[in-house]
Amino acid sequence: MKVRVDPNICQGHTLCAMTAPNLFVLSDEDGHASAITEDVPAGQEELAREAARSCPEQAIVLSE
Amino acid sequence: MSIDETTAPRVDDESRKEGRRIVLDRHGPEYRTEFVDWAQRLHAGPRIAWNDTHGGYWFVNGNQELFDVARRSDVLSNDHDIHNRRRGYKGINVPPPPESSGTIGGFLEMDPPRQRYYRNALNPYLSPAAVARWQPVLDEITRAAIDEKIESGRIDFVEDLANIVPAVLTMALLGLPLRDWVVYNEPAHATVYTPQHSPDYPRVMKMAMDMGMSLFGRLQELRATPRPGLIDAIINADLGGEGPEDDMEIVGVVMLLVGGGFDTTTALTAHSLEWLGEHPDQRERLHREWDALRDSATEEFLRFYTPAQGDGRTVSADVEIDGVRFHEGDRLWLSWAMANRDEQVFADPHEIKLDRTGNRHASFGLGIHRCIGSNVARAGFKTMTKAVLDRMPDFVCDPAGTVHYETTQVINGMRHLPATFTPGKRLGPGLEETIDRLQTIVDEQGLAEPITVRKDRARLA
Repeated sequence: MKVRVDPNICQGHTLCAMTAPNLFVLSDEDGHASAITEDVPAGQEELAREAARSCPEQAIVLSE
Repeated sequence: MSIDETTAPRVDDESRKEGRRIVLDRHGPEYRTEFVDWAQRLHAGPRIAWNDTHGGYWFVNGNQELFDVARRSDVLSNDHDIHNRRRGYKGINVPPPPESSGTIGGFLEMDPPRQRYYRNALNPYLSPAAVARWQPVLDEITRAAIDEKIESGRIDFVEDLANIVPAVLTMALLGLPLRDWVVYNEPAHATVYTPQHSPDYPRVMKMAMDMGMSLFGRLQELRATPRPGLIDAIINADLGGEGPEDDMEIVGVVMLLVGGGFDTTTALTAHSLEWLGEHPDQRERLHREWDALRDSATEEFLRFYTPAQGDGRTVSADVEIDGVRFHEGDRLWLSWAMANRDEQVFADPHEIKLDRTGNRHASFGLGIHRCIGSNVARAGFKTMTKAVLDRMPDFVCDPAGTVHYETTQVINGMRHLPATFTPGKRLGPGLEETIDRLQTIVDEQGLAEPITVRKDRARLA
């Protein structure tokens, strides 16, 4: 599974990093999120889906 | 293109409102007391309603519809054009405030790019990393506020805790003297909960004037002797090659941050404590499983109580969204509160579930105007709630003394939440002494610098 955060959609709600702190990192300056690695580590797929589901802006893009 | 199409005045097409008309007085007390009935009725349709009150406006209440509309900053405007330089739009309140106010609601009543310039200037003071640096200060203000009451076994959670902690922290973030919190405290809340027809309204307006005068004075001082903080960033903001137009603009921005920093977090904390007092088993569970439930419970309280209930917009171009034909100039209301109770997205939407997952609530708004202080709000709420659970775990609220805001037209707030609990021991000095000590620490360590300048957490020892 691959994951990325669309920087044009993310508004820095921070819920992804709250849900899956191992998958997402927040910018120090504005709190906008990015994926730590493009490939979701094995076993973390459900957390990635939960983070995507939690995003108020629906900025998280998952692909198989 | 025919001549008619470009010159004929458009006749408002009333058919676009057909089947969508409601009469809902958002400013009346019944809207608060009958909120669940309204939510159920509206979510069954129309999910974008035409509300025939206060001049008529679209009322966006469904979760998907809110998502589809709120993020369309290409066709929505927040502009509050009080000098009539552009299209005369009326900002984010429906109905708009009296013309005489002379200020606008900071960058929440601006459109990009100016709005974005302001946010870019302020984000490094309010990001999660920037706010985390303040945690020891937050803990200490909270400790002192509780110490003032811990031996008595009695507290008003609003007046004695939830009003104080966000106010003192906001002063620190702004770069104002911490003790100034008392200047802002009562007017920041009273201007929200006092309706214009109240006999107390003139007194509240006087307090608001005094607060404004105090702020004008502080601006002069901060120009003469700069101190780090949000106000310094506002004064020196690069708004596309120019600065703020005048002090009125600066005051509007500061008052947005004060309004956002004070009353909202107070409202969230008070309501949550009221609920926890009514549900001792859930309170005990939250305390016991704090590390696991802290975040989900916070988001759930945010969803359920939605401190800032909604925001107005003006449609800036003809557009069709979700089958509704919006016309340029239409007013609309984005009801974060209603969207947060939509059963299409939230199972059992009118219940609080401390472990709710997938909670993509809209309580901080959606799109480019997302609450810039959301990280401050969460940190303040968590700090106060945890301290109460630790130090007053058996508190019992007194419903007879509990006072909610009469209406939820702006904030779903509370004025009083008295409670009793088993008395405990003080842990340190009182509030006044603590605020003086924290002032020294804020100044010496430059805590109000942005994260780009200072990365370290506050040190209290």
